[in-house]
Amino acid sequence: MEMKPSVEIIQLPLSFLLLGLSALVVTWLLCFRLLKAFSASKSSGSSSPTSQSYTGSETEKDWTLPSMDSHAHRDSLFHRWDPRIKLLSLFVYIFCVASITQVPTACIALLSAIGSVAAAHIPFRHPLRRLAAMGGFLGMLLLIMPLTAPAKQGDTLVVFQHLSFMTFNFRGFLLALLICLKASAIALMMEPLLGTSPFSITIHALARLGVPQQVCQMILLTHRYIFVFFHEMKRMNAGMKARGFRNKTNIETVRTLGNFVGMLMVHSFERTQRVYEAMTARGYNGTLPDYISFQALQQDWIKGAFWIILGVVLVGMDRLW
Amino acid sequence: MHIADGVLPTSVAIGAFAVSIAVFAWSARKAKTEDLPKIAVVTSAFFVASLIHVPLGPTSVHLLIPGLVGILLGSSAFVSVALGIILQSLLFQFGGITALGVNALMMGVSALLCGYVFRAIKGPSLSGHVFAGAITGGLGVVLSAIILALFLVTSGEDFWGVAKIALYVHLPVVLIEAAVSAFSVSFLYKVKPDLLDISFSATNLNSSPKEPGSSERS
Repeated sequence: MEMKPSVEIIQLPLSFLLLGLSALVVTWLLCFRLLKAFSASKSSGSSSPTSQSYTGSETEKDWTLPSMDSHAHRDSLFHRWDPRIKLLSLFVYIFCVASITQVPTACIALLSAIGSVAAAHIPFRHPLRRLAAMGGFLGMLLLIMPLTAPAKQGDTLVVFQHLSFMTFNFRGFLLALLICLKASAIALMMEPLLGTSPFSITIHALARLGVPQQVCQMILLTHRYIFVFFHEMKRMNAGMKARGFRNKTNIETVRTLGNFVGMLMVHSFERTQRVYEAMTARGYNGTLPDYISFQALQQDWIKGAFWIILGVVLVGMDRLW
Repeated sequence: MHIADGVLPTSVAIGAFAVSIAVFAWSARKAKTEDLPKIAVVTSAFFVASLIHVPLGPTSVHLLIPGLVGILLGSSAFVSVALGIILQSLLFQFGGITALGVNALMMGVSALLCGYVFRAIKGPSLSGHVFAGAITGGLGVVLSAIILALFLVTSGEDFWGVAKIALYVHLPVVLIEAAVSAFSVSFLYKVKPDLLDISFSATNLNSSPKEPGSSERS
């Protein structure tokens, strides 16, 4: 790999690389442990498939399909905020965070996101699961970007002894770090945004903001069906396990899963027909009754203005730094 | 693989939002009111299928099935995929909320194209359907990987390496998806063939189930 003349190169002994790698592995294991601990109740549930399959127990905690609004009954500044203004202003704020280009401002955004999760009285394991979901993508960026970012003028390259074919571009690392910070800041903001009012209210607020009625209804219906089919899937899965199916890397697994998906589709189609007939029988005419009234007070507008101003200030600081 | 928040430039994200809203409107206009619950159901099936993990050596990949959604819903597939993406983002943070447009285009456009391709190349026979299912299943992943890579390339030269690796990572997924789609299509052909006849006119969607004589397969 040829080096450009204006690039600063730092030579480090191989032991640094090993140290860094082992630190990475340790952090990874710690995160994994943490997640395992959080999802412990899920695995204890699935280890005994027969006991839970046909009872359809709604009381059982389901960790794979989190509900967004399980903390909507609490009370905080976010809960007392008119959902329409909350959605609109936080959406603008989120886009402002997404356009940040410097690491320090991204850190501020992350801190304010952590602060607002705390202010919304939402336990931190909820947003942690969101962060974990992004882990794969962000980890890939953190790993690949330093290695593949092309060297430009003024870059700092880190080269390890005996491994001259690998160059770590510090700029690539910073870029990946910036993305991680921004993505985490936004993911954390999703909790105050969605978790502080019941999901149906949030969707009604979206409808008032001009999102077409049909789309809102579809989101509500789909959201409902997801839980229905997740139960269906668990039941089918228990049946498959009872007949001796084991997940392996072979064509048999793929064939079974193909049939599984096909069966899921057949079930879902048959179900729709019945559900649709039932809905029509109850007077469904393409619209859902609108019984929720929103009221925007002065303090709602003040909160909205606060977040939009915060977003604009962040972007301003970011550009002028 | 969905793009997270803050990866793409804001202009690209907003542009993708605009384009996907346009495609969504076109796709939704083709669907009728009485199809809405049906689309909602396929969307949730699509969503739930993305929770199915296929073991692949030491790791595992989850199903994407954009191809199958296209096969089942035709022109309404984009609506379905976009809704699925929205809910995945809201519930799981699979894909960021600012990248919704990008992710919807990535999966939805490939689902639409797969629907067209499936209809064009499926024959009247079982083997023709299975072949078409395999092709569209693989094609769906290939197309979404290519769209993903294209979007990453727009973010600048620094992302080219990531885009390339994202393409390679999808290669084994293509094979699995092709196989799963082929088996699913074969299953549906035997069990409920009228589902596969869903055409690009929305009327078929509603009339086909429950009427054994309505399918025009030979």
